[in-house]
Amino acid sequence: MTVNIGDVVPTFTRETGFANWNRYAAVNDEFVPIHMDDAAGEAAGNGGAFGMGNLQWAYLHNMLRSWIGETGEILAMEVQFRSPNVKGQTITAHGVVTAVEGDVVSLEVWTDQQDGIKLAPGTATVRMGK
Amino acid sequence: MPDTYMVPEVLAAIGRECSRTTSYPITASDIRKWALAVYWPEMPPQKFIDAEYASEDFDPFAWGPQKYESLLPEDDGSVIYRHGINEDALGIPKWDFIVGLNGGMDCQYGVRMHVGDVITDVKSVGQWSERPGKNGLMLMTRHVSVWTNQRGEEVKRTINTGISY
Repeated sequence: MTVNIGDVVPTFTRETGFANWNRYAAVNDEFVPIHMDDAAGEAAGNGGAFGMGNLQWAYLHNMLRSWIGETGEILAMEVQFRSPNVKGQTITAHGVVTAVEGDVVSLEVWTDQQDGIKLAPGTATVRMGK
Repeated sequence: MPDTYMVPEVLAAIGRECSRTTSYPITASDIRKWALAVYWPEMPPQKFIDAEYASEDFDPFAWGPQKYESLLPEDDGSVIYRHGINEDALGIPKWDFIVGLNGGMDCQYGVRMHVGDVITDVKSVGQWSERPGKNGLMLMTRHVSVWTNQRGEEVKRTINTGISY
C-alpha cells in the first residue's frame, strides 16, 4: 500500500457507556468510582461517570492496527486525555498521515465524540506491513 | 490548596527509581480476554483469539503482580503501587486532592508480548509541574515506566501523565 501525507486512516467507532467500561474494568481491574458511579464522576467535575482514558488509547491502537497490515507495527503513540468520555457518546478514533519515511509513517491521531469535539489528541508512528 | 506544589521534597524526588514489579507469565486467556474487551461489541482480530501475541495496549499487571519490590529505602514494599509511585516514601506532602486523573501517555514500543512472557516494570520519578485549572491549582506528574521481558528485551517505555486537583 502506498502511503502519502494527508492520507486518512479508516476510523474505529464505538458507542460508549457502562457496557464497554465494565468489560474493560473486568480485564484491567479498573473498578474505579469515577468510571462506575455518576455521583463520583460529578464530584470529579464531569457531570457523571466517564470512561477510561486507557480504553480510548486501545481504540486508537485498534484503528491503526486495522490499517497497517498483518506484518505492520505500532512503534509509538502519545496522547493527552483532554475531555471526558461520558455515557452515551459515540467515540471515533481518527488518524491522518503527517510524514512518510520509507515504511515508517507518522500520524496525527485523535478521538472525538459524535459532535466532533476532540477528547484525546495525539500522535503515532507506525511501520507499515508488507 | 497550597500556593505551589513545587516544594523541595517534590524537586528532590526527580529521577529516583521507585519500584520493580514482575508479572505472572502471560497466558493465552489473558490475551484473548483483553482483546475481546477492547474490541467489544465486535470480535477482535483472529490473531488475538489465537493469542499469537498480545496487543500493544495489553497490561500483564492487571489483577496483581507476581512480585513487587520497592526500590526506595524509606518504603517497606507492603503496599503495591500499580499505576503510580509511593509518594509518602518520597516525602511528598499529603495534599487534599479530590481526584487523580489519567492525563495521557507517551509510549515507545519494543518487542511484542507473547504467551509465557514474564514482564518486569521499573518505575521512576519523571517530572512534576503545576498549572491553574477550572478546579484550582493542578499538580501534573510525568513518571516513567520501563517494561522488559524475561530475556531483558525492552517491551515498552511509557511516560504517564497524572493530573491531581
